[in-house]
Amino acid sequence: MREFLRSSSKWWPGTIPLAILWGLACWNTTAPIEADLAARANAALKDTVLDKTQLMVAGRDVTFRAEAFSEQGRSAAVATIEAVPGVRLVNDETKLVAEAVPYVWSVERDVVRVTLGGNTPLPAIKAKLLDAARNSLGGVEIADRMSLSRGAPNRFDAAALLLVDQISRLKDGKITLTDTKVTLSGMARELGGSEAIAAALKNLPEGFSVASNDIKSPPYVFQAVKDPVALTLTLTGYVPDNAVHAALAAAAGRQFVGDNIVDNLKASVGAPQGFSNAVVMALGALSRLSTGSLVVTDRSIRLSGHALFEQAVGQIRTGLSKELPQGWQSQVEVAVKPAAASVDPTVCQQLFSDLLGKGKIRFESGKANIDPDSVGLLDRLTETAMRCPSSVIEVAGHTDGDGEAASNQALSERRAQAVVDYMVKAGLPAERFRPVGYGSTQPVAANDNEDGKAQNRRIEFTVR
Amino acid sequence: MVTLATFSWSWLLGAAVLGFGMGWIAVVHRGRGVSKTAAIWLGAAGALLLALALARLVPGRFGYWLDLGLMMLAVYLAGCAVGSWLRHLVVSRHSPVT
Repeated sequence: MREFLRSSSKWWPGTIPLAILWGLACWNTTAPIEADLAARANAALKDTVLDKTQLMVAGRDVTFRAEAFSEQGRSAAVATIEAVPGVRLVNDETKLVAEAVPYVWSVERDVVRVTLGGNTPLPAIKAKLLDAARNSLGGVEIADRMSLSRGAPNRFDAAALLLVDQISRLKDGKITLTDTKVTLSGMARELGGSEAIAAALKNLPEGFSVASNDIKSPPYVFQAVKDPVALTLTLTGYVPDNAVHAALAAAAGRQFVGDNIVDNLKASVGAPQGFSNAVVMALGALSRLSTGSLVVTDRSIRLSGHALFEQAVGQIRTGLSKELPQGWQSQVEVAVKPAAASVDPTVCQQLFSDLLGKGKIRFESGKANIDPDSVGLLDRLTETAMRCPSSVIEVAGHTDGDGEAASNQALSERRAQAVVDYMVKAGLPAERFRPVGYGSTQPVAANDNEDGKAQNRRIEFTVR
Repeated sequence: MVTLATFSWSWLLGAAVLGFGMGWIAVVHRGRGVSKTAAIWLGAAGALLLALALARLVPGRFGYWLDLGLMMLAVYLAGCAVGSWLRHLVVSRHSPVT
C-alpha cells in the first residue's frame, strides 16, 4: 500500500497532457452540447403555450425568457426546461403576459385592408380570429396588429369571432370590443347591412352588450325618369318589398297615361319610413311634367324638369312640401316648357280625344273629388285647351247606371264642374268652359257588367 | 452527469488511457514525486473546485468546462490508480521483495 501511495505522488506529470486534452475537449464539445441542449429544450416546450419564447444556452446553463399566460403555465414551463437531461442550471427570466385594463380588441376595415388590433388572450384565439377574417373576407388583405394580453372577459373568443364575421358586411368602419361592450361605426356595404349586423349582434354571448351602433346604410335611392320622346317612364333603384313594388307600378300606370313603364326596381330592406306614400306623391308630381326626373335619396326628394304651364310649377312645389310625410324634404327645380303652338278647333278636339282615349279622369268613388293620380292627365288636357284659346269647350260628365238617376245626374254635373274648376285654377278663363252632366243617360257600353260600367263613368271634352 | 459522460465519452476514455499509462509508468519512475505539503495543497484546490462545481457556482461555459475538467481529472486519477495497481502486481511478482 505504501508503494502504491508512493507511486501516486508521481502521477502528476500526466496532468500536463491531461490539461491539453481537457482544452481540446472544451474546444470541441462546447458548441455541439449547447446545440444539442437547445434542440432538446425547444422540443420539450413544443406543447407549451408561451409568447416571445427565447432559449439561450451557455455551456449547460439555459437562459429561458418567455411570457406565460398564467402563473401555473409559467412554472410548468420552467420545470419542463429544468427536466431536460443535461441541463445544469435554468436562469429563469420568464414572466407573465401583461394584463390589459380595459381589455380592448378591434377590427377595422378601410378601402385597402382589414386590420385586427388590440388584445387577444391566447395565440390560438389570435390565429382563429385571423382565420375567420380570411374566410369571411375572401381576397381582402388582412393586417394583424393584435398583441397578447391577460384579462380577457369570459367567452371573449366567441364574441370576437361574431364581430369578425360582421366586418364583411361593412364597406368601411370599425368594431371595437372594450371589455364586454361593443362599439360599431362605419358604413354598411349594402342596403340592409346595418339591419343584418344589428340582428347578428343579438347573438353575442351572455354578458356582452352593444354600447353604441353607428353603422350607416348606403342611401336608399329610387329614381324615375320621364322621357317624352320615347314615351317611357324608367323606374330604377329600390323598393322595400314586392307588395310596395306592385303598388308603385300600379300607381305609375294610372299616373303616366300613355307612357310605357320600364321597371328596373329591386327589392331591398332599409327603406325610410313613409317611403311608399312619399314616392307615390312624388311620382304624381313627376306625371305633371312634360319631361323630368325624380330622385328619392333616403328621405329627400329632388324633382327636376319642365311643367306644362306656369301655374303647375307653384302647385307642384306647394303640393309636395305640404303633403309629404313627416321628416321628408323636397327640392323642386321645375321650369315651364315653352308654350306649344296654337291649333284650330278640329285639331284641338282630336288631341282631347287622343288623350282621353289613353286614360280616364278618375274620381273618388261616389264623389266629385279628382283622384290625385289623374292630375298628370288633367295637366295635358289643360295644356291642350290652352292651344285653342278661341274655342269653347263642353266638359261632359257621365256616370254608370247604378243608383238613382237624379243622384247620378247631380254627381255627373259636380264631376264636370270639378274638372272645369281645375282648369280655371290653371289659369284658363271660366267662360271658355261649359260643364254639363248627363248622368247615366248616354252610356257607351252595357251597364250589366263591371267593365261596361267603368267605360260609362267618364268625362268627355267637346270643342264647340 | 450521465448525459455529460455519454456526450463526451471519447474524451473521458482518452483521459482514462492517459491515466492508466501514467499510473503504469509511475511505479518504476525514478523522478521526484510531489511533496506532502504540495499534495495537501493540490487536494485542497481539487476539493475547492469540486465544491464549486457541485454548488453550481461557476456560470455558463466556465461551469461546463469546470465540470468537464473535473470529470476528466477523476477519470485520469482512476486510470492512474488502476495502472499503478496492475503494474505493482506485475513488478512484485517478478522481483521478490528484498
